[in-house]
Amino acid sequence: MTPAVRLRRVLAVSVIVASTLARGSAAAEPPISDGLGDREILGARPNKFRIESVSTRITAFDQYGKGYQSQAGPLLGPGDERATILEPQLDVVATQGKRLSHRITLPVDVVTSASADAIDKHRRPPDVISSASRQNIAGTVDWSATYRVDPATDIVARSGLHLEEPFRSVHAGLSTSHELGEGDAVFSAGVLEVFDWFDRFDITGHHVGRADRLSSTATLGFTKILTTTTLANVNYGITLQNGELGNTWNVVPLSPHALGPELLPGKRIRHALVARMSQFLPWNGALHLYYRFYDDDWGIAAHSVELELAQRLFPVLYVKGTYRFHHQAGASFFTTLASPDLLYRTADSDLAPLDARTFGVMLVFDVPIDTEVKSLHVDIAYERYLRSNDLQMNVVTCGTGFRF
Amino acid sequence: MIARLAVAIVAAWALAACAVPQNRRARFADPMMKPYEDDLNAARRQKLYDTREGAAGGDGTPAGGGCGCQ
Repeated sequence: MTPAVRLRRVLAVSVIVASTLARGSAAAEPPISDGLGDREILGARPNKFRIESVSTRITAFDQYGKGYQSQAGPLLGPGDERATILEPQLDVVATQGKRLSHRITLPVDVVTSASADAIDKHRRPPDVISSASRQNIAGTVDWSATYRVDPATDIVARSGLHLEEPFRSVHAGLSTSHELGEGDAVFSAGVLEVFDWFDRFDITGHHVGRADRLSSTATLGFTKILTTTTLANVNYGITLQNGELGNTWNVVPLSPHALGPELLPGKRIRHALVARMSQFLPWNGALHLYYRFYDDDWGIAAHSVELELAQRLFPVLYVKGTYRFHHQAGASFFTTLASPDLLYRTADSDLAPLDARTFGVMLVFDVPIDTEVKSLHVDIAYERYLRSNDLQMNVVTCGTGFRF
Repeated sequence: MIARLAVAIVAAWALAACAVPQNRRARFADPMMKPYEDDLNAARRQKLYDTREGAAGGDGTPAGGGCGCQ
Protein backbone atom coordinates (compact mmCIF):
# COMPACT_ATOMS: atom_id res chain seq x y z
CA MET A 1 0.00 0.00 0.00
CA THR A 2 1.52 3.27 -1.07
CA PRO A 3 1.69 6.21 1.39
CA ALA A 4 -0.82 8.14 -0.72
CA VAL A 5 -3.40 5.37 -0.56
CA ARG A 6 -2.82 4.98 3.21
CA LEU A 7 -3.34 8.72 3.69
CA ARG A 8 -6.61 8.62 1.69
CA ARG A 9 -7.92 5.74 3.88
CA VAL A 10 -7.04 7.58 7.08
CA LEU A 11 -8.83 10.70 5.84
CA ALA A 12 -11.92 8.71 4.85
CA VAL A 13 -12.12 7.00 8.26
CA SER A 14 -11.64 10.38 10.00
CA VAL A 15 -14.49 11.92 8.03
CA ILE A 16 -16.82 9.01 8.87
CA VAL A 17 -15.89 9.13 12.60
CA ALA A 18 -16.33 12.92 12.70
CA SER A 19 -19.71 12.82 11.00
CA THR A 20 -20.89 10.03 13.33
CA LEU A 21 -19.81 12.03 16.40
CA ALA A 22 -21.50 15.14 15.06
CA ARG A 23 -24.73 13.21 14.49
CA GLY A 24 -24.50 11.77 17.98
CA SER A 25 -24.04 15.16 19.59
CA ALA A 26 -26.94 16.58 17.59
CA ALA A 27 -29.13 13.69 18.71
CA ALA A 28 -28.22 14.43 22.28
CA GLU A 29 -29.57 17.94 22.04
CA PRO A 30 -33.29 18.46 22.64
CA PRO A 31 -35.28 18.76 19.42
CA ILE A 32 -35.93 22.36 18.49
CA SER A 33 -39.66 21.75 18.22
CA ASP A 34 -40.02 20.42 21.78
CA GLY A 35 -41.95 22.95 23.78
CA LEU A 36 -42.55 25.12 20.70
CA GLY A 37 -45.54 23.57 18.98
CA ASP A 38 -48.24 25.44 17.08
CA ARG A 39 -50.04 26.07 20.34
CA GLU A 40 -47.00 27.79 21.93
CA ILE A 41 -46.06 29.79 18.83
CA LEU A 42 -49.55 30.90 17.80
CA GLY A 43 -51.18 30.84 21.20
CA ALA A 44 -53.83 28.42 22.37
CA ARG A 45 -57.18 28.97 20.70
CA PRO A 46 -59.49 29.84 23.53
CA ASN A 47 -62.68 27.87 23.98
CA LYS A 48 -64.57 31.12 24.42
CA PHE A 49 -67.04 32.59 22.01
CA ARG A 50 -65.52 34.65 19.28
CA ILE A 51 -67.80 36.72 17.07
CA GLU A 52 -66.95 36.03 13.42
CA SER A 53 -69.56 38.19 11.74
CA VAL A 54 -72.57 40.37 12.43
CA SER A 55 -75.08 41.12 9.69
CA THR A 56 -78.22 43.21 9.70
CA ARG A 57 -80.91 43.73 7.14
CA ILE A 58 -84.04 45.81 6.99
CA THR A 59 -86.71 45.19 4.39
CA ALA A 60 -89.90 47.06 3.60
CA PHE A 61 -92.74 45.33 1.73
CA ASP A 62 -95.58 47.32 0.24
CA GLN A 63 -98.39 45.05 -0.96
CA TYR A 64 -101.50 45.77 -3.01
CA GLY A 65 -104.06 43.33 -4.28
CA LYS A 66 -107.26 41.44 -3.78
CA GLY A 67 -108.20 37.91 -2.82
CA TYR A 68 -111.44 35.98 -2.37
CA GLN A 69 -110.39 34.74 1.08
CA SER A 70 -110.46 38.32 2.42
CA GLN A 71 -113.61 39.87 3.90
CA ALA A 72 -112.42 43.42 3.29
CA GLY A 73 -114.65 44.02 0.29
CA PRO A 74 -117.94 43.00 -1.29
CA LEU A 75 -119.72 39.98 0.19
CA LEU A 76 -118.71 37.65 -2.60
CA GLY A 77 -115.29 39.23 -2.87
CA PRO A 78 -112.62 39.73 -3.76
CA GLY A 79 -111.49 41.51 -0.62
CA ASP A 80 -108.51 43.74 -0.11
CA GLU A 81 -105.06 42.31 0.65
CA ARG A 82 -103.35 45.62 1.25
CA ALA A 83 -100.51 45.31 3.73
CA THR A 84 -97.20 46.88 4.59
CA ILE A 85 -94.49 44.95 6.36
CA LEU A 86 -91.28 46.16 7.94
CA GLU A 87 -88.81 43.38 8.63
CA PRO A 88 -85.58 44.02 10.53
CA GLN A 89 -83.23 41.02 10.77
CA LEU A 90 -80.05 40.24 12.70
CA ASP A 91 -77.59 37.42 12.08
CA VAL A 92 -74.59 36.65 14.31
CA VAL A 93 -72.00 33.95 13.66
CA ALA A 94 -69.65 32.95 16.48
CA THR A 95 -67.08 30.24 16.98
CA GLN A 96 -66.48 28.32 20.19
CA GLY A 97 -63.13 26.61 19.89
CA LYS A 98 -61.93 24.79 16.83
CA ARG A 99 -64.91 22.55 16.17
CA LEU A 100 -68.02 24.39 17.23
CA SER A 101 -69.67 27.38 15.60
CA HIS A 102 -73.04 29.02 16.17
CA ARG A 103 -75.38 31.06 14.03
CA ILE A 104 -78.21 33.00 15.61
CA THR A 105 -80.78 34.69 13.40
CA LEU A 106 -83.45 37.08 14.66
CA PRO A 107 -86.00 38.22 12.11
CA VAL A 108 -88.81 40.47 13.33
CA ASP A 109 -91.88 41.36 11.27
CA VAL A 110 -93.98 44.44 11.90
CA VAL A 111 -97.04 43.74 9.81
CA THR A 112 -100.00 46.00 9.27
CA SER A 113 -103.06 43.87 9.46
CA ALA A 114 -101.82 40.59 8.01
CA SER A 115 -102.79 38.62 11.05
CA ALA A 116 -105.76 38.29 13.33
CA ASP A 117 -104.30 40.28 16.16
CA ALA A 118 -106.87 40.54 18.95
CA ILE A 119 -109.79 39.86 16.66
CA ASP A 120 -111.55 37.98 19.44
CA LYS A 121 -111.49 41.02 21.69
CA HIS A 122 -113.01 43.30 19.08
CA ARG A 123 -115.55 40.76 17.78
CA ARG A 124 -115.08 41.79 14.21
CA PRO A 125 -114.74 39.63 11.16
CA PRO A 126 -111.07 38.80 10.73
CA ASP A 127 -109.51 39.89 7.50
CA VAL A 128 -106.25 41.22 6.34
CA ILE A 129 -107.12 44.91 6.69
CA SER A 130 -109.73 45.12 9.43
CA SER A 131 -109.23 47.67 12.17
CA ALA A 132 -109.17 44.82 14.65
CA SER A 133 -105.88 43.62 13.20
CA ARG A 134 -104.27 46.91 12.36
CA GLN A 135 -100.79 45.90 13.33
CA ASN A 136 -99.03 42.77 14.44
CA ILE A 137 -95.48 42.08 15.53
CA ALA A 138 -93.93 38.68 14.93
CA GLY A 139 -90.50 37.51 15.95
CA THR A 140 -88.33 34.44 15.43
CA VAL A 141 -85.18 33.14 17.08
CA ASP A 142 -83.29 30.57 15.06
CA TRP A 143 -80.11 28.94 16.41
CA SER A 144 -77.85 26.61 14.42
CA ALA A 145 -74.88 24.94 16.09
CA THR A 146 -72.36 23.34 13.73
CA TYR A 147 -69.96 20.71 15.03
CA ARG A 148 -66.99 19.77 12.87
CA VAL A 149 -66.57 16.03 13.36
CA ASP A 150 -63.53 15.86 11.11
CA PRO A 151 -62.15 18.11 8.35
CA ALA A 152 -64.71 16.68 5.92
CA THR A 153 -67.83 16.25 8.05
CA ASP A 154 -70.11 18.72 9.78
CA ILE A 155 -73.19 18.09 11.91
CA VAL A 156 -75.67 20.93 12.38
CA ALA A 157 -78.30 21.06 15.12
CA ARG A 158 -80.97 23.69 14.52
CA SER A 159 -83.73 24.90 16.74
CA GLY A 160 -85.95 27.93 17.02
CA LEU A 161 -89.09 29.60 18.19
CA HIS A 162 -91.58 31.88 16.47
CA LEU A 163 -94.08 34.08 18.26
CA GLU A 164 -96.92 36.27 17.05
CA GLU A 165 -100.26 37.25 18.51
CA PRO A 166 -102.43 34.20 17.73
CA PHE A 167 -99.65 31.89 16.62
CA ARG A 168 -96.71 29.98 18.17
CA SER A 169 -94.24 27.76 16.42
CA VAL A 170 -91.19 25.75 17.41
CA HIS A 171 -88.80 23.96 15.10
CA ALA A 172 -85.86 21.63 15.53
CA GLY A 173 -83.69 19.83 13.03
CA LEU A 174 -80.51 17.93 12.44
CA SER A 175 -78.41 17.92 9.29
CA THR A 176 -75.04 16.77 8.15
CA SER A 177 -72.70 17.47 5.27
CA HIS A 178 -69.75 15.46 4.08
CA GLU A 179 -67.03 16.55 1.67
CA LEU A 180 -65.79 14.08 -0.89
CA GLY A 181 -62.53 13.94 -2.80
CA GLU A 182 -60.56 17.13 -2.32
CA GLY A 183 -63.55 18.99 -0.99
CA ASP A 184 -65.03 19.81 -4.39
CA ALA A 185 -68.12 17.69 -3.82
CA VAL A 186 -70.42 17.80 -0.81
CA PHE A 187 -73.29 15.49 0.14
CA SER A 188 -75.79 16.85 2.61
CA ALA A 189 -78.86 15.45 4.35
CA GLY A 190 -81.16 16.81 6.98
CA VAL A 191 -84.45 16.56 8.82
CA LEU A 192 -86.56 19.38 10.23
CA GLU A 193 -89.62 19.22 12.46
CA VAL A 194 -91.95 22.22 12.80
CA PHE A 195 -94.81 22.32 15.30
CA ASP A 196 -97.31 25.19 15.09
CA TRP A 197 -100.14 25.88 17.48
CA PHE A 198 -102.50 28.80 17.21
CA ASP A 199 -105.88 30.20 18.17
CA ARG A 200 -108.81 29.00 16.12
CA PHE A 201 -111.30 31.67 15.04
CA ASP A 202 -114.49 31.32 13.13
CA ILE A 203 -115.17 33.59 10.19
CA THR A 204 -117.01 36.08 12.37
CA GLY A 205 -113.95 36.61 14.55
CA HIS A 206 -114.92 34.50 17.57
CA HIS A 207 -112.32 32.46 19.34
CA VAL A 208 -113.24 28.78 19.22
CA GLY A 209 -110.30 27.00 20.81
CA ARG A 210 -106.90 25.96 19.61
CA ALA A 211 -105.49 24.27 16.55
CA ASP A 212 -102.11 22.84 15.65
CA ARG A 213 -100.14 21.27 12.86
CA LEU A 214 -96.95 19.30 12.49
CA SER A 215 -94.63 19.55 9.49
CA SER A 216 -91.83 17.02 8.98
CA THR A 217 -89.24 17.65 6.28
CA ALA A 218 -86.37 15.54 4.98
CA THR A 219 -83.81 16.83 2.47
CA LEU A 220 -80.94 15.44 0.43
CA GLY A 221 -78.43 17.59 -1.42
CA PHE A 222 -75.36 17.27 -3.60
CA THR A 223 -73.02 20.12 -4.54
CA LYS A 224 -70.14 19.74 -6.99
CA ILE A 225 -67.48 21.94 -8.52
CA LEU A 226 -67.74 20.85 -12.14
CA THR A 227 -64.97 22.96 -13.67
CA THR A 228 -62.68 25.73 -12.49
CA THR A 229 -65.54 28.20 -13.11
CA THR A 230 -68.72 26.12 -12.70
CA LEU A 231 -70.56 25.01 -9.59
CA ALA A 232 -73.72 22.88 -9.53
CA ASN A 233 -76.13 21.89 -6.78
CA VAL A 234 -79.14 19.57 -6.63
CA ASN A 235 -81.56 19.27 -3.70
CA TYR A 236 -84.61 17.17 -3.04
CA GLY A 237 -86.99 17.69 -0.16
CA ILE A 238 -90.19 16.11 1.05
CA THR A 239 -92.54 17.60 3.65
CA LEU A 240 -95.40 15.78 5.38
CA GLN A 241 -97.96 17.98 7.12
CA ASN A 242 -100.70 16.98 9.53
CA GLY A 243 -103.27 19.01 11.42
CA GLU A 244 -105.00 22.32 10.72
CA LEU A 245 -103.40 23.51 7.49
CA GLY A 246 -105.20 26.84 7.15
CA ASN A 247 -105.47 29.92 9.32
CA THR A 248 -109.11 29.02 10.29
CA TRP A 249 -110.63 32.41 9.43
CA ASN A 250 -110.29 32.47 5.64
CA VAL A 251 -113.65 32.61 3.91
CA VAL A 252 -115.05 31.07 0.75
CA PRO A 253 -117.91 32.70 -1.19
CA LEU A 254 -120.82 30.25 -1.26
CA SER A 255 -123.80 30.17 -3.51
CA PRO A 256 -126.31 31.60 -2.95
CA HIS A 257 -124.79 34.85 -1.62
CA ALA A 258 -123.21 33.73 1.61
CA LEU A 259 -119.78 33.14 3.04
CA GLY A 260 -118.52 29.91 4.53
CA PRO A 261 -115.30 28.79 6.16
CA GLU A 262 -112.42 27.36 4.22
CA LEU A 263 -112.35 23.53 4.38
CA LEU A 264 -108.93 21.95 3.85
CA PRO A 265 -107.66 18.37 4.07
CA GLY A 266 -105.85 17.52 7.29
CA LYS A 267 -102.82 16.11 5.50
CA ARG A 268 -100.49 17.30 2.80
CA ILE A 269 -97.42 15.73 1.17
CA ARG A 270 -95.13 18.14 -0.67
CA HIS A 271 -92.13 17.37 -2.89
CA ALA A 272 -89.59 19.88 -4.16
CA LEU A 273 -86.62 19.32 -6.46
CA VAL A 274 -84.16 22.18 -6.91
CA ALA A 275 -81.22 22.53 -9.31
CA ARG A 276 -78.77 25.43 -9.19
CA MET A 277 -75.77 26.33 -11.30
CA SER A 278 -73.24 29.14 -10.92
CA GLN A 279 -70.91 30.06 -13.78
CA PHE A 280 -68.10 32.59 -13.60
CA LEU A 281 -68.05 34.74 -16.73
CA PRO A 282 -64.82 35.85 -18.45
CA TRP A 283 -65.71 39.57 -18.25
CA ASN A 284 -65.65 39.45 -14.44
CA GLY A 285 -69.27 38.54 -14.03
CA ALA A 286 -71.25 35.57 -12.76
CA LEU A 287 -74.39 33.81 -13.93
CA HIS A 288 -76.67 31.95 -11.52
CA LEU A 289 -79.43 29.69 -12.78
CA TYR A 290 -82.12 28.18 -10.56
CA TYR A 291 -84.91 25.77 -11.33
CA ARG A 292 -87.43 24.31 -8.88
CA PHE A 293 -90.10 21.71 -9.48
CA TYR A 294 -92.82 21.31 -6.89
CA ASP A 295 -95.64 18.82 -6.56
CA ASP A 296 -98.12 18.02 -3.79
CA ASP A 297 -101.21 15.91 -3.18
CA TRP A 298 -103.55 18.94 -3.16
CA GLY A 299 -103.09 19.13 -6.93
CA ILE A 300 -100.56 21.95 -6.98
CA ALA A 301 -97.67 21.47 -9.38
CA ALA A 302 -95.29 24.34 -9.94
CA HIS A 303 -92.22 25.34 -11.89
CA SER A 304 -89.98 28.21 -10.83
CA VAL A 305 -87.08 29.52 -12.89
CA GLU A 306 -84.69 32.20 -11.76
CA LEU A 307 -81.83 33.86 -13.59
CA GLU A 308 -79.38 36.16 -11.88
CA LEU A 309 -76.58 38.03 -13.61
CA ALA A 310 -73.83 39.70 -11.59
CA GLN A 311 -71.28 42.11 -12.98
CA ARG A 312 -68.32 43.55 -11.13
CA LEU A 313 -67.99 47.27 -11.85
CA PHE A 314 -65.12 48.11 -9.47
CA PRO A 315 -62.97 45.92 -7.19
CA VAL A 316 -65.31 46.65 -4.28
CA LEU A 317 -68.62 47.01 -6.13
CA TYR A 318 -70.79 44.73 -8.20
CA VAL A 319 -74.36 44.86 -9.44
CA LYS A 320 -76.87 42.00 -9.71
CA GLY A 321 -79.98 41.76 -11.82
CA THR A 322 -82.59 39.07 -11.07
CA TYR A 323 -85.59 37.72 -12.91
CA ARG A 324 -87.82 34.97 -11.50
CA PHE A 325 -90.82 33.33 -13.10
CA HIS A 326 -93.16 31.07 -11.15
CA HIS A 327 -96.07 29.11 -12.54
CA GLN A 328 -98.36 26.98 -10.41
CA ALA A 329 -101.48 24.95 -11.01
CA GLY A 330 -104.08 25.64 -8.35
CA ALA A 331 -105.28 23.29 -5.65
CA SER A 332 -107.88 20.89 -7.02
CA PHE A 333 -110.50 22.31 -4.62
CA PHE A 334 -109.80 25.98 -5.28
CA THR A 335 -112.89 27.98 -6.18
CA THR A 336 -114.14 31.55 -6.04
CA LEU A 337 -117.77 30.43 -5.65
CA ALA A 338 -118.27 27.11 -3.90
CA SER A 339 -121.18 24.80 -3.51
CA PRO A 340 -122.02 24.40 0.24
CA ASP A 341 -121.82 20.61 0.06
CA LEU A 342 -118.20 20.41 -1.08
CA LEU A 343 -115.95 18.32 1.15
CA TYR A 344 -112.97 20.65 0.61
CA ARG A 345 -112.95 24.23 -0.60
CA THR A 346 -110.67 27.24 -0.58
CA ALA A 347 -110.73 30.67 -2.17
CA ASP A 348 -107.26 31.53 -0.95
CA SER A 349 -105.53 33.40 -3.76
CA ASP A 350 -102.21 31.79 -2.77
CA LEU A 351 -103.62 28.37 -3.68
CA ALA A 352 -105.07 29.54 -7.01
CA PRO A 353 -103.56 28.80 -10.41
CA LEU A 354 -101.20 31.70 -10.97
CA ASP A 355 -98.09 33.07 -12.59
CA ALA A 356 -95.73 35.28 -10.63
CA ARG A 357 -92.80 37.37 -11.80
CA THR A 358 -90.07 39.04 -9.80
CA PHE A 359 -87.70 41.66 -11.16
CA GLY A 360 -84.86 42.84 -9.00
CA VAL A 361 -81.65 44.82 -8.98
CA MET A 362 -79.05 44.92 -6.20
CA LEU A 363 -75.87 46.93 -5.62
CA VAL A 364 -73.29 45.20 -3.44
CA PHE A 365 -70.24 46.76 -1.78
CA ASP A 366 -67.63 44.42 -0.27
CA VAL A 367 -64.86 46.54 1.21
CA PRO A 368 -61.79 44.89 2.75
CA ILE A 369 -60.58 46.72 5.85
CA ASP A 370 -57.21 46.13 7.44
CA THR A 371 -58.21 46.56 11.06
CA GLU A 372 -60.01 44.41 13.61
CA VAL A 373 -62.86 44.41 11.15
CA LYS A 374 -61.69 42.38 8.19
CA SER A 375 -64.40 43.42 5.78
CA LEU A 376 -67.52 45.49 5.46
CA HIS A 377 -70.50 44.48 3.36
CA VAL A 378 -73.30 46.84 2.29
CA ASP A 379 -76.04 46.09 -0.21
CA ILE A 380 -79.22 47.77 -1.31
CA ALA A 381 -81.87 46.24 -3.55
CA TYR A 382 -85.25 46.87 -5.08
CA GLU A 383 -87.64 44.13 -6.19
CA ARG A 384 -91.01 44.18 -7.86
CA TYR A 385 -93.28 41.16 -7.39
CA LEU A 386 -96.24 40.76 -9.72
CA ARG A 387 -98.82 37.97 -9.48
CA SER A 388 -101.30 37.24 -12.24
CA ASN A 389 -104.28 37.04 -9.83
CA ASP A 390 -104.15 40.64 -8.67
CA LEU A 391 -101.34 40.91 -6.18
CA GLN A 392 -98.29 43.09 -6.48
CA MET A 393 -95.58 44.20 -4.17
CA ASN A 394 -92.67 46.62 -4.01
CA VAL A 395 -89.75 45.47 -1.89
CA VAL A 396 -86.79 47.57 -0.76
CA THR A 397 -84.06 45.94 1.28
CA CYS A 398 -80.75 47.11 2.71
CA GLY A 399 -78.15 44.86 4.32
CA THR A 400 -74.92 45.46 6.20
CA GLY A 401 -72.34 43.01 7.43
CA PHE A 402 -69.12 43.10 9.41
CA ARG A 403 -66.64 40.24 9.31
CA PHE A 404 -64.12 40.19 12.15
CA MET B 1 -87.27 3.58 -9.37
CA ILE B 2 -84.39 1.69 -7.73
CA ALA B 3 -82.56 1.55 -11.07
CA ARG B 4 -82.93 5.31 -11.52
CA LEU B 5 -81.70 5.89 -7.99
CA ALA B 6 -78.71 3.63 -8.64
CA VAL B 7 -77.91 5.51 -11.85
CA ALA B 8 -78.14 8.82 -9.97
CA ILE B 9 -75.82 7.57 -7.23
CA VAL B 10 -73.30 6.22 -9.74
CA ALA B 11 -73.43 9.48 -11.70
CA ALA B 12 -72.89 11.44 -8.50
CA TRP B 13 -69.90 9.32 -7.57
CA ALA B 14 -68.51 9.64 -11.09
CA LEU B 15 -68.85 13.41 -10.85
CA ALA B 16 -67.25 13.39 -7.44
CA ALA B 17 -64.31 11.45 -8.84
CA CYS B 18 -63.53 14.23 -11.35
CA ALA B 19 -61.90 16.49 -8.81
CA VAL B 20 -60.97 20.11 -9.52
CA PRO B 21 -57.72 20.75 -7.59
CA GLN B 22 -57.87 23.24 -4.75
CA ASN B 23 -55.34 25.54 -6.39
CA ARG B 24 -57.68 26.01 -9.36
CA ARG B 25 -60.74 27.16 -7.42
CA ALA B 26 -59.82 30.84 -7.08
CA ARG B 27 -62.96 31.96 -8.96
CA PHE B 28 -65.20 30.48 -6.26
CA ALA B 29 -63.71 32.84 -3.66
CA ASP B 30 -65.36 35.79 -5.43
CA PRO B 31 -68.50 36.80 -3.48
CA MET B 32 -70.36 37.07 -6.80
CA MET B 33 -69.99 33.31 -7.22
CA LYS B 34 -71.76 32.34 -4.01
CA PRO B 35 -74.40 29.85 -5.10
CA TYR B 36 -76.68 31.01 -2.28
CA GLU B 37 -77.51 34.52 -1.19
CA ASP B 38 -76.50 35.64 2.25
CA ASP B 39 -78.68 34.04 4.89
CA LEU B 40 -80.77 37.07 5.75
CA ASN B 41 -81.54 37.95 2.15
CA ALA B 42 -82.36 34.34 1.35
CA ALA B 43 -84.64 34.12 4.41
CA ARG B 44 -86.63 37.24 3.59
CA ARG B 45 -87.06 36.17 -0.06
CA GLN B 46 -88.07 32.68 1.02
CA LYS B 47 -90.68 34.13 3.34
CA LEU B 48 -92.05 36.36 0.61
CA TYR B 49 -92.66 33.34 -1.60
CA ASP B 50 -93.73 30.99 1.21
CA THR B 51 -96.55 33.28 2.26
CA ARG B 52 -97.79 34.17 -1.21
CA GLU B 53 -97.44 31.00 -3.23
CA GLY B 54 -99.10 27.75 -2.30
CA ALA B 55 -96.26 25.87 -3.97
CA ALA B 56 -93.68 26.92 -1.40
CA GLY B 57 -92.14 24.54 1.09
CA GLY B 58 -91.14 20.94 0.69
CA ASP B 59 -87.48 21.85 0.58
CA GLY B 60 -86.38 22.15 4.16
CA THR B 61 -88.10 25.43 4.90
CA PRO B 62 -91.27 25.74 6.96
CA ALA B 63 -94.11 25.49 4.46
CA GLY B 64 -96.54 28.33 4.04
CA GLY B 65 -99.28 28.86 1.54
CA GLY B 66 -102.41 30.58 2.59
CA CYS B 67 -102.28 31.96 6.05
CA GLY B 68 -99.45 34.42 5.73
CA CYS B 69 -98.51 33.69 9.30
CA GLN B 70 -95.42 31.66 10.01
